[in-house]
Amino acid sequence: MAGATRSTLANQETSGTDLAAAAAIGLSTILFVLSVASLAEQLSITGSISGVPTVTLLGGLLVLLGGTVASFGVSSRLGYVETNADHSAGLIAAVAAGIPWFLIGGGFASETLGLGAVAGLAVGVLIGGTAFAATAFPREDVGSTVPIGALSIVTGLVFLTSVLGPEWVWDLGWEQTASLTAEFVIPVLTLLNAMYAGWAAAKAYGGFGARGRHVGAYVLVYLNALSIVAFLFVLVAFTVVRGIPGLLTGAEFGWGVGPGTTVGVGGFGFTLSLPFSVPFVMNGVALMNDFQGVLPAIVGTIWLVVGAVLFAVPLGIGAAIFLTEYAEQGPFTQVVEIATNGLWSTPSIVFGLFGFAFLIPRFGNSKSLLAGMLTLGFMLLPLVLITSREAMISVPDEYRDASAALGVSKWQTIQSVVLPAALPGVVTGVILGVGRIAGETAPILLTMAGGTFVPGSQTADVIGGFEFIASPPFVTNPELLQATSALPYQLFALITAGVGLGENVANPEEFRWATALILLVVVLSFYAVGIATRYYFRRKLSYE
Amino acid sequence: MSFITTLIKRGRSRLREVARRQGRRARDFVDETESEALAVVTVVALSLVAALVGFLLVSALTVVPLATFVVATVYGWFRHQEVTARVLTLTTTVSTLLILGLIIVFIFLESIPIVRYESATVFGVTVPGLRLFVETRWDAVSDPVRFSMVPMIHGTVMVTLIATAVAAPLGVSAALFLSEIAPAPVREVVKPGVEILAGIPSIVYGFIGFTILSPWASDQFRLNGQGTYLFVGIVVGLMALPTVVSVAEDALSSVPESIKSGSLAVGTTDWQTMTSITLPAAFSGVSAAVLLGVGRAIGETMAATVMLKGVPRLTDPLYNVFYGQETLTSIIARNYGDADGLQMDALFIAGVILFVTVLFISIGSQYIEWRMRRQFGGDV
Repeated sequence: MAGATRSTLANQETSGTDLAAAAAIGLSTILFVLSVASLAEQLSITGSISGVPTVTLLGGLLVLLGGTVASFGVSSRLGYVETNADHSAGLIAAVAAGIPWFLIGGGFASETLGLGAVAGLAVGVLIGGTAFAATAFPREDVGSTVPIGALSIVTGLVFLTSVLGPEWVWDLGWEQTASLTAEFVIPVLTLLNAMYAGWAAAKAYGGFGARGRHVGAYVLVYLNALSIVAFLFVLVAFTVVRGIPGLLTGAEFGWGVGPGTTVGVGGFGFTLSLPFSVPFVMNGVALMNDFQGVLPAIVGTIWLVVGAVLFAVPLGIGAAIFLTEYAEQGPFTQVVEIATNGLWSTPSIVFGLFGFAFLIPRFGNSKSLLAGMLTLGFMLLPLVLITSREAMISVPDEYRDASAALGVSKWQTIQSVVLPAALPGVVTGVILGVGRIAGETAPILLTMAGGTFVPGSQTADVIGGFEFIASPPFVTNPELLQATSALPYQLFALITAGVGLGENVANPEEFRWATALILLVVVLSFYAVGIATRYYFRRKLSYE
Repeated sequence: MSFITTLIKRGRSRLREVARRQGRRARDFVDETESEALAVVTVVALSLVAALVGFLLVSALTVVPLATFVVATVYGWFRHQEVTARVLTLTTTVSTLLILGLIIVFIFLESIPIVRYESATVFGVTVPGLRLFVETRWDAVSDPVRFSMVPMIHGTVMVTLIATAVAAPLGVSAALFLSEIAPAPVREVVKPGVEILAGIPSIVYGFIGFTILSPWASDQFRLNGQGTYLFVGIVVGLMALPTVVSVAEDALSSVPESIKSGSLAVGTTDWQTMTSITLPAAFSGVSAAVLLGVGRAIGETMAATVMLKGVPRLTDPLYNVFYGQETLTSIIARNYGDADGLQMDALFIAGVILFVTVLFISIGSQYIEWRMRRQFGGDV
């Protein structure tokens, strides 16, 4: 679609001037990167780049950028450059240009000149209004470039003249003290200016007019999408890099180093052992361990997920079947729908409170694995219901009619036609929902978790825990009824436990990051499986 | 007055009508079903109700009706599958409603004592719970013991405002990108990316915020100690972003293609079509998305708990975003451990405020979406 409106007529003989606008876009990209780098402390404000002090460099580039943008607009107005400018840049551009100028004017009058808030407001309105008028009233090529170009030039000059140098600090004078420092203000101002000027330059590159605004908007929208993906990538990569050393502490690879089991075949005993040993995920915490690990938390997370799925999936799918297949669409289904959506948006900590008030007194008055399972099950239920219902609604009615025409009963139709057709959607929804609850901390905080370091001996063994007793309720499982740990809780406990984790862990910082990494791996693998399942089914369905 | 009476009358007759219809359906069901199947179904229903009552009363004998239910269900499944399946699915639906009902009942019940304790007298009338909202003192230890919610509400409002300022523009822009702009291969990368962003556990965000962002912010702004509403708000905004993106994208792509093509056919650019056709048409859906994002931000717990100071007081001045004290969610997560008696109940009132606010937001956004669906006719 994006290419469909590209008009070759509008681009005739503008290649040289295109170059100027493209150079401005490139310049703002460089400034954007530089300011992000200095916010991330990869680039020091007080330092210098190849001999030039950073602030001077940023200021110089900003003046250059502002000058290019503004002069492009002016030369278009004077007819040196051929563009399709409209008669006005429009309201959005005018407001966008007015706001920074209002802030500059107001800040300058009230703080730098010390005239106070009222005078600051007046000057701010005056200057902001001028910028607004300068954008809205001239022809678009001048209006959308000159006020914004001037903004960059002024900012650049402020940097160059060291009015706002590397040592600049502004104490806000509040009761709870806070100051704005050059380390923060300079990169942020540069960033904003780069985005503004980049936007104006992109409009100029498109030759103003409808097409120019199209290009300008697309640059910002693409930048946003790119930033989101980059943010995700940086977040995951950062956790991986920080977490790997802790994860591999004491890890060994090679034949027979891992924990093994002995299998007896015909009188001979074979010892099978894994070809690797990673103590971090295979050990608990104990005094005598060489390396400490988080095995109980991993097992706890797995059992939590299993319990929540066993509780929520039958309930959710059953309710979805009733709502789509049996129930008459009316007030009742509407109420259920509102209730489900309400349940979906209920904060997780409220589920925790509910579990604390409702489940804990009923399971022996102490935190337990079972209470955690059920609480997470309550959270998972609306997700399963909503996604299953969507999947069932999207099964075409022809399928149902064809099956009914064969004379089978309704339940048989549901069982052998609707459910199989809806299965892909249901499965994907369940997996994504599980990924979500596996990382939840707040609900299990109040219902299940206890202890920062859990000894390996306390690793939950639910299957082996069932016991029969003579008095009601006849079946008990102490494993289900005692507190255990889970990865998200473990991470929370490690954070709140402070810096000194005691003698137990040699390097607490590495231990924490490794826990975060394992949690991320567990949760994201659910997501990866969910998304892969969706692709698999979609491809399969599109071939049929 | 007469208007209200008519309204009540109309509501009553409507209710009576529904009841009559349901009664007729029930009678039909009884007539049509074999008597043995009916008996099985009755046993299933009664035993389930008995099990629920037993569970609510904390009885060890709950297992008896539960076992009866299982046995009756298994028998019914093999002999009268049709009816049993129907009753079972109805049961699951009712239990969904029941869970919401139980949540409401239990968190409200637990918070009653604190509402009584924090009563205040205005003009000679005692208003229960008023002091929760007019004083600003939270102190569970030293006299006078007070559990004001004002500092936490202030914190939640600050965090939510900042989070919305982050999530709304970025989210709507990303939704536009995914639904209207991105070429198919790019969308196939960005869309799972947004979903994965939704999947990153909040405690991981909190951990990174706590170890990286908070010290950085303290250093940059020369603050005393760690924890700022500004950065908690930004982190929470990033966490609410995927919700905004996916709901807004649904709304944008539900605008019929014919409307967009009509606009493009008159020679507008893609961007003009988006701003003057697609966005206005999907406006209610997009605002529902933002509203749901706000709901997510209000309820976000772990990142706030880990990154904030944990001292319930107002910031000074009120708009000082560089200090982060406590929010409604974080006070629960931080204090549940050593809370007892009234303090625990005070945590429940925080939960009630959260629950009610978010429920209203959820219902509001559903109403907006419903209106949008009606606007485009049935098949959206």
